Amino acid sequence: MREQRRKDAVWRFLTYAFVITMVVVMMVPLYWMLVAATLPQEQFLQFPPRLIPGTAFLDNFAALQERLDFVRTIRNSVLIAVVYTLLSLVLCSMAGFAFAKYEFKFKEPIFYTILATLVLPIQLLVIPLFLLMAQLDWTNTFRAIILPWAANPIGIFLMRQNMKSIPDALLESARMDGATEFQIFYRIALPTMRSSLAALAIILFLFQWDLFLYPLVILETADMYTIPIGLAQLTGFQRIYYDQIMVAATLAIVPMVVLFLVLQKQFVSGILAGSLKE
Amino acid sequence: MATSDETDDRIGQGYRRRVRMKIRTATRQSRRAMRPVWDRVRFARQDLTAATPTLPRVAYLFIAPFFLLFSVFLAFPVFYTLYLSFFEYQGVGQGSLFWIDLGPVYIEIPQIAQLNFVGLGNYARLLGNDLFWQSMFNTSYILVIQVPLMIGLALALALALNASFLRLKGVFRTAIALPVSANLVAYSTVFLLLFNEQLGFLNYVLAGVGIGPVPWLTDGFWARNTIIAAVTWRWTGYNMIILLAGLQTIPQQLYEAAEIDGANRWEKFRYVTLPQLKPVMLFVVVLSTIGTFKLFAEPYVITGGGPTNSTITIVQYIYRQAFVNFNLGYASALTVVFVAVVSVFSVVQIKIGGED
Amino acid sequence: MTKKPDYARYGRRRLMKGAGLAGLAGLAGCIGTGDPEGGSGGGDGSDGSDGSEGSDGSNSSGDDNGDGGGSMASEIDVWGWDVAARALTISAEEYESENDATVSVEEFGRSAMKDRLQTNLLSGSGAPAVSMLESVDGPSFIDTGSVAPLTDEIEEAGIREDFVSGKWEALTVDGDIYALPWDTGPTAVYYRRSVYDEHDIDPDSIETWADFIEEGQKLPDEQYMLNLPEGDLSGVWRYQFRQLSGEPFLESGEVNIHNEKSLRVARNIKEIYDADIAANIEGWTAAWFSAYGDATIASLPSAAWMEGTLRAELPDTAGDWGVFKIPALESGGPRASNWGGSNLMIADQVSDEEKARGWDYMEYSLATEEMQLAMYDEYGLFPALETVYDEPVFDEELDFYDGQAARALFAEVAQESPGYRFTADTPEVSQAIETELQRMINGEQSPEEAIQAAAETVAENTDRDLA
Repeated sequence: MREQRRKDAVWRFLTYAFVITMVVVMMVPLYWMLVAATLPQEQFLQFPPRLIPGTAFLDNFAALQERLDFVRTIRNSVLIAVVYTLLSLVLCSMAGFAFAKYEFKFKEPIFYTILATLVLPIQLLVIPLFLLMAQLDWTNTFRAIILPWAANPIGIFLMRQNMKSIPDALLESARMDGATEFQIFYRIALPTMRSSLAALAIILFLFQWDLFLYPLVILETADMYTIPIGLAQLTGFQRIYYDQIMVAATLAIVPMVVLFLVLQKQFVSGILAGSLKE
Repeated sequence: MATSDETDDRIGQGYRRRVRMKIRTATRQSRRAMRPVWDRVRFARQDLTAATPTLPRVAYLFIAPFFLLFSVFLAFPVFYTLYLSFFEYQGVGQGSLFWIDLGPVYIEIPQIAQLNFVGLGNYARLLGNDLFWQSMFNTSYILVIQVPLMIGLALALALALNASFLRLKGVFRTAIALPVSANLVAYSTVFLLLFNEQLGFLNYVLAGVGIGPVPWLTDGFWARNTIIAAVTWRWTGYNMIILLAGLQTIPQQLYEAAEIDGANRWEKFRYVTLPQLKPVMLFVVVLSTIGTFKLFAEPYVITGGGPTNSTITIVQYIYRQAFVNFNLGYASALTVVFVAVVSVFSVVQIKIGGED
Repeated sequence: MTKKPDYARYGRRRLMKGAGLAGLAGLAGCIGTGDPEGGSGGGDGSDGSDGSEGSDGSNSSGDDNGDGGGSMASEIDVWGWDVAARALTISAEEYESENDATVSVEEFGRSAMKDRLQTNLLSGSGAPAVSMLESVDGPSFIDTGSVAPLTDEIEEAGIREDFVSGKWEALTVDGDIYALPWDTGPTAVYYRRSVYDEHDIDPDSIETWADFIEEGQKLPDEQYMLNLPEGDLSGVWRYQFRQLSGEPFLESGEVNIHNEKSLRVARNIKEIYDADIAANIEGWTAAWFSAYGDATIASLPSAAWMEGTLRAELPDTAGDWGVFKIPALESGGPRASNWGGSNLMIADQVSDEEKARGWDYMEYSLATEEMQLAMYDEYGLFPALETVYDEPVFDEELDFYDGQAARALFAEVAQESPGYRFTADTPEVSQAIETELQRMINGEQSPEEAIQAAAETVAENTDRDLA
């Protein structure tokens, strides 16, 4: 027994050590970004690099806000990302469910086609997409950014993979009880997918949050810009406003943190525990 | 104009009735003459209907939104790229290709580009181009190292964070996943600073341990490693979240059953966790592979594709051809080849991954 | 045979038939290819499929009082990046007060602006009336046919001779001029006086690169004489090649980057590296600013616009700088070249009225001494407008340079600087030179091999012959 406990203790220690090391590695660059955001530009460019945060955060922010209405930019990004995530969650889970649990003709080829669209690099799609949007008169609108990838292949793929683990017996018994397909989807499949949906929400939000080249071309007026575009404005040629970039980047992390916190509760284990009664 | 079973005997309409009778007779006669033809058409139509497969309505409804959005938005760019790949781009188009004037509605499709047909010329060109093969090599090299590394780390972290004894799960989870939210410009600037050969923090630390200054950005081999480090740093947490979610859908009972059977930690992992995690693992592997194949931003900002083209990736090459050299036709051909290769690769991965 | 309801049997078919016929008849009159006669031709200026670069309206005669003649748009957009965009706001304000028009200047990040501008130009919509165009990009953009020619306007305004002659070559394709020069980048070496004084380096004694290297040896190990980043070897090569009046392509189009002059430049670069006097820090990074800030690097071969950056980013170093002309590659050789410089162009897709207004604004900003001086004064953009060089402000002794009349030196260089045949294939040249020279520096090949390899790559990729 003693030996088992010692082994356990060693194991626990190693696990904690590993996790904490990784946390440190992940946080160092971000910490550096935060420090940079609090320093005026000249101090940032020192060597050896300064590790203690300064006090210039608000000054830098004020300068940033003056150059580009960054608060508005954040608002735009958040708005687009939230609407997109909600819409896409619905569409992706539906499609993923279909691929996971139904048999229908052409299922394989259709799925692989969807996968292929995932591979498309956006660089070359930008010009024809812009053309299309110009014809539809949708340039400089948010819907032009939200709609094209609303049924996101990543999402469909993820949902398909995750929903495969739903026991068929569960669905069958529901069918026998007379539930319609939509009810099965909504009342049985979705609730068991809580953590996957949370992961998907993060994926979708991030996808939209990060989009750069396409929104750059579609959005034309400064009051519509999203965060990546805003940051690109700060990288000129002769002057690179490091302090403002760092402030902007630090602030841009906040919505993601909020998202993580909101979704915390969904990462709960063992939802399917007790659902198999055999 | 359909035949009516009702006749109307009111005065004034008698005339109309007579006219209608005349028309009806005439058409009936001509129809009789055309009957064989109509019959043939009808039989053909019925055969066609019988031949097309019927999708169960529900499944069709479920995936309809994707196809609707795809066909409206993405189909045109995709086909246009394919079309463009057989041409050489000469310049912007003048005048219109096509116009429709319906009075109130006026639609003009402008001629988008002046093109010169080259058939498979672009494809031949890319096969012979050194830089193309170099970028393929770079991308594959980075892929082969980065993807297993990142997934290994992500899996280990997910398992660690799923362990029952671990405290502060939420904090760790958020901290590790946070890099994914860092803006590209900002974190590449930070990485450029950290990895600078003479003034960077990393070399400063390594020097303290006695390791000489590593040419992170100026040597081909090391530059690739820098990219690998940056990409791994950024995306490990992301994949960890996905794997964690996958882990959490494994029913607890399976573990309990295994314990009853006397399984130890490793056996539980091998016989319960891994098989149950397979679909999600496959997802993470395929997604990461595709993502790394498509790598563009990090090399573009951090190394610019150098030194000596050692970190230029395929998509970066495509971007250069399209946006710097204005070789849209050639860039389109590159895109087509790229999509084909990576799609095939992904399909193979999925098949090998043991799809039932 | 089941009797279907009549309407189903006959109605549907007849409906389709009728619709088809009616549609065809209707559309036949309304559809066409090519251009509709009298149709609105779209709001974009692309009219006539005559395959030429696009015509400009006959009313864009650039009168400078904005009224009379053809009509001009009352509102135009102007795109620029960085300090240049801010400089434009000066002239925009002045212009607006004198004319009844609104000029909206939008400032972008440089590569973001280029991405967006290119997409808009290539897809035929969304481009602004006036936008910045770097000389190096000139022919590439012009070649796409999306830039409006300005030959007539320039001729009518008679301002061609007013600008530094070396600027026009990059903006001229097939005899037509497509942009108006704005600023130019006469080269010079900026140096830190305190460092030079400390180590007994006399800038006046430096005439050739050999001299420069020799003087550089006087510095201790931790200090560098200059910065030569591997990431911009193509820029360095280009300004030195241009210094020797080298042309990357012959007039007949053959690739010419492997000639004698190029070899001299490549050897020179190699010598600088081998002498170990160069730091290797990528430009405009934090490390780069830091190194110049604390004088780890003593000199900065660059161009006139660098002053703006130095003033803005390293204000503490003001008063410690001096400039001298770029060293010659051999004794008695030319010491003038050009690095960078932009222009303003008009997008072909905008309406004629917008083009007219755009030209009017451009002429006002770039061809009047007043405006060019204002922009130079405020933002350090060295005017390409030669006539301005006679102004007394150019002989001013500047504090930033510890009393040296730097402007006069730049002006001299600007006038001596030779032209350069940028073409649409310039990016290929830059990429090839960059790669091959990097290999040369790594010791993988000799200068001769490097430039030969570069020339061959360019020839292959651009379907040209070697000279």
